[in-house]
Amino acid sequence: MELRPMEQFEVKPMIEQPLFHVGHYPIYFTNQSLLMILVVLAASLFLTLAMSKRLMVPSRAQSMAELSYEFVANMINSATGEDGLVFFPFVFTLFFFVLFCNLFGMIPGSFTVTSQIAVTFALAAVVIITVIVTGFAKHGIGFLMLFVPKAPWYIVWLLVIIEFISFLTRPISLSVRLFANMLAGHTMLVVFGGFVVMLGGAAIYLKPLALAPLALIVAIMLLELLVAFLQAYVFAILTCIYLNEALHLHDHH
Amino acid sequence: MPDPQDLHGLGERLDEAQRKRAVRTKRPPPTQLGIASRFATELVAALLVGGAIGWGLDWLFGYFGIHTKPVLLILFVVLGAAAGILGVMRAAGEINAGIAGNGPAPPVRKDEEN
Repeated sequence: MELRPMEQFEVKPMIEQPLFHVGHYPIYFTNQSLLMILVVLAASLFLTLAMSKRLMVPSRAQSMAELSYEFVANMINSATGEDGLVFFPFVFTLFFFVLFCNLFGMIPGSFTVTSQIAVTFALAAVVIITVIVTGFAKHGIGFLMLFVPKAPWYIVWLLVIIEFISFLTRPISLSVRLFANMLAGHTMLVVFGGFVVMLGGAAIYLKPLALAPLALIVAIMLLELLVAFLQAYVFAILTCIYLNEALHLHDHH
Repeated sequence: MPDPQDLHGLGERLDEAQRKRAVRTKRPPPTQLGIASRFATELVAALLVGGAIGWGLDWLFGYFGIHTKPVLLILFVVLGAAAGILGVMRAAGEINAGIAGNGPAPPVRKDEEN
């Protein structure tokens, strides 16, 4: 049997004809576009339906929505203080989009949107641009003091370069972490799945051995569910931490 | 017209309820997995960014006829490594301070508790 663990990450057009052209580049409706639309629909439907009744004593769905509201609000509050709460809609949307993308990717046969570096980097770029715009809007040119730590003059110029590189690192590390985690987990699932099929098709005395990778897949599935939550959380909390620096420079630490 | 004494009692009971709620909605502790993935990407990304800047500057100077070819690349990879270690130290500081983890309650709650 031929094992192709990377096949699941292929972006394929769902409709033969391109939707429209940008310059000479055809724009297709791909499996990725479909999953993104489903994710946005599912997240919006879940939250609006769960909150539609506005019960005093919340139903199960409503308390899930309320808990996730409180979870994100607490996260922003502890990382940035109260003035960061203006970014609540932004962080909440990011958190839910990433979480639902990760969870939809866990459905067998579907497609993981967050395993595409293009998607995660676009998200990270939005975060960093928000941070830069907020910083300049709040502090004007003084935002550049973010790159100047307190140090004697003979070392400061070196630290400025290092701080600058460290700032440029943020969108890269933010996007690569999410992308690499999803890519690695889903590749691992397919590889171990291939082991089950190969051992199952082997000589009769080898067949029982197929149970070992099968058990492992169950464990990895659980681990991947944890990673799906964890990476959405890490993405959101780092957004908050970066926004905090834009709002308060270094004085808040 | 309710008795003001009753309202005072109500305020206290509300405070009590809010405090209980605050304890219940504490965030989960940072898992080993989250910390590991954070530190690793921080280091690698800083190295890559440093290398990219050095390579780009080398290319830029070469374009204008100044041959610095490997020097800036080497310099900026070292600076990138420094930036990576800075990033890891910051991440560790954030986890210690409880910003990214299950730390002390946020500052807003302090006046409520006093």
